[in-house]
Amino acid sequence: MTAHALAAGRALPAPRPVGWAGVALGAIAWYIALPPLLLRTPVPSLLVAAAAVAAGAYAIRADERRLGWGAVAAGVLGGLGAVVATESGESNLEDVFVWSALIAAMLRFATPLIFGALGGIVCERSGVINIGLEGMMLMGAFFGIFGADLTGSWVSGVLIGMAAGGALALVHALFSIQFRADQVVSGFAMNLLALGITGYVFIAHYGSRGTPDGIPRVPDVTLPGIEAIPFVGDAVGRASLLTWIALLLVPALALFLFRTPRGLRLRSVGEKPRAADSVGVPVIRTRYLAVIASGLLAALGGVYLSIAFLGSFSQNLTAGRGYIALAAVIFGAWRPGRALLAALLFGFSSALAQRLPTFSESTAVLFEALPYVLTLIVVAGLIGRTRPPAAIGVPYVKE
Amino acid sequence: MSQAPDRPEPPPYPGGEPGATPAARLAAYIRGGGLLVPLLTAVLAFFIAGLVMLFTGNDPFATYEAIFEGTGLQWLFPWVTGDDRTLAAVNLQQTLILTTPLILTGLAVALAFRAGLFNIGGQGQYIVGSIAAVWVGSSFAGMPAFLHILVAIAAACIAGAAWAGFAGFLKATVGAHEVISTIMLNYIALWVGVWLFSLGGPLQNDRDESLPVSNDVVEDARLPVFWGDPVLQGLHIGIFVALAAVVVFWLLLNRSTAGYEVRAVGFNPEAARYGGMSVARNYVLVMAVCGLFAGLAGALDVLGWQFRLATNDVQVSQIGFLGIAVALLGRSTASGTVAAALLFGALLSGTSQRNLDPTIFEPELASNLTLIIQGLVVLLVSADVLVLSALRRGRSLMMGRRRAEEPAK
Amino acid sequence: MPVEAPALELRGITKRFGPVVANDRVDFDLRRGEVHALLGENGAGKSTLMSILYGLYHPDEGEIRVDGDPVRVGSPARAIELGIGMVHQHFMLVPVMTVTENIVLGEEPRGRVGTLDVREGARRVRELSERYGLAVDPDALIEDVTVGAQQRAEILRALYRDARILVLDEPTAVLTAEETGELFEVLRNLRADGVAIVFISHKLGEALEIADRITVLRRGKRIDTVPAAASSEQSLARLMVGREVLLQVEKSEARPSEPVLDVRDLRVRDDRGLEAVRGVSFSVRGGEIVALAGVDGNGQNELVEAITGLRRPGSGEIRVAGREVAGAGVRATSDAGVAHIAEDRQLRGLVLPFTLAENLALRDYRSPPLSRRGLLNTGRMTSRARSLLREYDVRGGDPGTLAASLSGGNQQKVCIAREIASNPRLLVAHQPTRGLDVGAIEFVHRRLVAERDAGRGILLVSLEFEEVRSLADRILVIYEGEIVGEFPPDASEEELGVAMTGGGVSQTAA
Repeated sequence: MTAHALAAGRALPAPRPVGWAGVALGAIAWYIALPPLLLRTPVPSLLVAAAAVAAGAYAIRADERRLGWGAVAAGVLGGLGAVVATESGESNLEDVFVWSALIAAMLRFATPLIFGALGGIVCERSGVINIGLEGMMLMGAFFGIFGADLTGSWVSGVLIGMAAGGALALVHALFSIQFRADQVVSGFAMNLLALGITGYVFIAHYGSRGTPDGIPRVPDVTLPGIEAIPFVGDAVGRASLLTWIALLLVPALALFLFRTPRGLRLRSVGEKPRAADSVGVPVIRTRYLAVIASGLLAALGGVYLSIAFLGSFSQNLTAGRGYIALAAVIFGAWRPGRALLAALLFGFSSALAQRLPTFSESTAVLFEALPYVLTLIVVAGLIGRTRPPAAIGVPYVKE
Repeated sequence: MSQAPDRPEPPPYPGGEPGATPAARLAAYIRGGGLLVPLLTAVLAFFIAGLVMLFTGNDPFATYEAIFEGTGLQWLFPWVTGDDRTLAAVNLQQTLILTTPLILTGLAVALAFRAGLFNIGGQGQYIVGSIAAVWVGSSFAGMPAFLHILVAIAAACIAGAAWAGFAGFLKATVGAHEVISTIMLNYIALWVGVWLFSLGGPLQNDRDESLPVSNDVVEDARLPVFWGDPVLQGLHIGIFVALAAVVVFWLLLNRSTAGYEVRAVGFNPEAARYGGMSVARNYVLVMAVCGLFAGLAGALDVLGWQFRLATNDVQVSQIGFLGIAVALLGRSTASGTVAAALLFGALLSGTSQRNLDPTIFEPELASNLTLIIQGLVVLLVSADVLVLSALRRGRSLMMGRRRAEEPAK
Repeated sequence: MPVEAPALELRGITKRFGPVVANDRVDFDLRRGEVHALLGENGAGKSTLMSILYGLYHPDEGEIRVDGDPVRVGSPARAIELGIGMVHQHFMLVPVMTVTENIVLGEEPRGRVGTLDVREGARRVRELSERYGLAVDPDALIEDVTVGAQQRAEILRALYRDARILVLDEPTAVLTAEETGELFEVLRNLRADGVAIVFISHKLGEALEIADRITVLRRGKRIDTVPAAASSEQSLARLMVGREVLLQVEKSEARPSEPVLDVRDLRVRDDRGLEAVRGVSFSVRGGEIVALAGVDGNGQNELVEAITGLRRPGSGEIRVAGREVAGAGVRATSDAGVAHIAEDRQLRGLVLPFTLAENLALRDYRSPPLSRRGLLNTGRMTSRARSLLREYDVRGGDPGTLAASLSGGNQQKVCIAREIASNPRLLVAHQPTRGLDVGAIEFVHRRLVAERDAGRGILLVSLEFEEVRSLADRILVIYEGEIVGEFPPDASEEELGVAMTGGGVSQTAA
């Protein structure tokens, strides 16, 4: 008789809330050692972390394995983080953990990931695997700034960047859907092609000088009134237009997928295309549109990188962000809201990595690897057996 | 008389056929296309790249000719003599130096494909292998030469095997898709490598604090050169090691029980399980061997011609990634991998700074061209339908045709 | 008085797949308010014909008329427009969506701002469901409801789109007897309402029970169309097969010896964690064929997987010739003397891109003489394959041919050859004749009896009545994970059918 049943029978707490509590406890364990609380002894943190691990163990025994292990991991990491924090100098910690700046940076780093993840969700929900998000993002990054430079307007730059991503997506769609290629391999080819094409045109046009300064950039948007508020204003009062668009797209996509007829049809195509076909839903056309849409969205993420965030381009600017976006999709179980959480988590880790080097030179380089380590943990640990759309990766064959 | 219902069941199998893993689909090539299909794929890729060149105002013929001249392959033509021949010899040595690791990183991907896995982690596995080799090679100064080389190579192989085996382990236990995990491991290896040799990093050299580079590999631990002038970087014996690895690869896959299991798992994991094989164990073992090959590539490069690693080397290297195109073009077979490795080695050599005439084509541009060609190769291979359909009209490919026309009755 | 045009007319329909003619100038007509059964053997062309009607295939020749007007059915969407609805044998339902979502997919009721109005959809579903007696829970997920309920959802899907012509493809294949009765009630309601129904089946008894007229197809041709009232099982069988059918394979009395398989109190869970085998105990002796009969989905798959080592049982014992093998894995079970002819030869039994020699080595590639110390002896593999192929009369290739290029019957022979060649004590044959033509079936049956006479114990798991009664020395009926009865081979269809659907008093099995 499982602990689950035992719990139900004897009015013990249900395992799911306990598991989530464990994750929260792990985060708290770390948080209390950081500014503003800044406890200098690790003991309370370790106690909280131990509680987190215990909660996780409880959840595991009750068959909530994924959540349970997540809580255990959170407890361990939280405890470790607390120990490291208590060993570090107070002023160092206060330099790094300026929460408002961290949150603002988190949003900045997360924006391309959000766009990429939304694109990935649309594509994969229709049944087509998209490893090529990285390439589509890169196309957007380069052709966005290229377009802005040529036309002198950031709006055209954005549109051109999106079109470039869409064009690459069209190739992926053609090969995956029409020619029934292996979608993982074809997606990977997209990344190689994007690297080569963007690098080629970049060098051919700009040579070794690189992109010039002064290319029109996507403006920031200030939320009137909020910017004045002390903490909140610094954190979220001002962000790029594209960031706001990304955040708005999340509920919009969720609404589309789960509350509209077209969303229902899209999902049916990804779950069981034969069923959709048998009632006249155009499977092939739906998939084409979904793949192209994912290209447009991922490209927006790249456009943000070059025109909004950096103001310049260098070869392989995206540096794996497209893959991290894909990890966010999987982590978020192909749901926009949860993918947003994952993107924010990854963004936070990048923000932290950016601030940490203020006091440690040689380890600065090592922290560059942090987002990738986190992705690996996410993919390895917590993911396990989520259910992707049932028909994903299978080319649809009409007889 | 009464029979099970006769409708063709909607295939629940990935790929539309029972057990149609990537390996199974690639099998259609291996049996059905011989050497012709890879050749056709390469020609097509070069053709399309040529169109790209035309589009940006370059002359594709002149460019390809210039590239070819840099490869040194003309040395193989008996009518090339004198100074041309000496120059070609030097170029050919360079080409073969580049081919050596490509063979191995190609095998690292090919073996995985045969097991139904997509190992994109060759770059990371190569990096950890080269790190291990440079560390062992620059330490233990007193060791006799032969032993020193052996230990360095062994260290690299173990490092690569562990790096890849970890991804295999994740796939076997929690089902983590090896594509994402190996890509992440690539980046992690990259940054760890950069950190190790950066200013103040643990493996930074002892001589000059301002240089983010490792210690040099000691004289004794360097691979002997057997063709050409060691001072001018002639061809080292690493190429024989690589070719030996190809033989091992073939024997392993086709003549051993382990290879039988790998192929079975790659073609149809369900049937493999039914036959008593442990799919999970095979995944881990295969990935480990793949990592071993890629790590070995790193060792051969470090001990053969690099002799030291700088942070820049770690960041710029592409050998592991090229292995993917090599394996795909070579259809994951032994001979195909060697041929494809030679092709890409020649391409790298011919487009390198020292060989390519900048007035005909910018070398920086050329490296991106190589990327485009790689992408085209991988893309064309992913869609077996395209390249094969031309051949199919001539030959009757039993597998494909029967599958497509199975009557529904 | 003008005769009303038939609801549906198919004239001269011909469809070829390469060299095979699946439909050969077939005529078929359907009147309003009638149930017309379409009978035929495996490969007769029934499903092809209906797929053409539903727009999934295009006919090479012939025409289709609906209500007298010629039409072209280019796609399922067009078929739906014409009022043709299809209830597929393998349901076209999305498991993770609700019943309502599945039913309204493609013609969704819209609320304000273009969102999906789920409540309105559920309301319409309830309305239809009451009208025709098709009980469903509109908000349940398809994967959570019974097979019978899923089929009702599938039917509702067609009715929601105002189908006036309904095609049901082998609808009773997955139903219990009780559910079949319910289905027939629904069909009668629909018929009374004027709906025209095509009932595809290979089950003579049911066709006689529900249909008004019966059309028999054989090898792509229409043989005859007869009124059900004027037919019998005998007459229909003759039309379907064209000759007197040999229902019984010739076999002598069994002479069983000691038990080769002893299963005690076995419990096995399925993929979803539910108990599929609930305390099963039985034994199989050498020299006898024990058949496990039952409707699909009552635990047979999990039981076979547990016995052959593919699945870990939750509890219980499995002894093969005295050796305990429960949970020991495939290798140990195989070494103990269990061979397994898999239910799905293409998914499990064979590695299609492997050669025949490689496939024949799938069980014992690890040991001499096929390999030594990790190295394969390919010469031996080939020569052994050659002799096996000859012994089992496998046509279509030699040891170097790919398994994928063989026909279904020959592929099955390869599987059987391999399993028997390992000289097992117990042979588990899981639907060994699925998808095979008559000649191949006879071969398999004869072979199984021969192996029985050679002293092996055979556990036959089959969904086919005739096969079970023809081959078995003892019949065990499984229902909802338990053995509910043991019967001799001459038990009547009624007895077996009742047991298979959970009714009647059971005798405990040995």
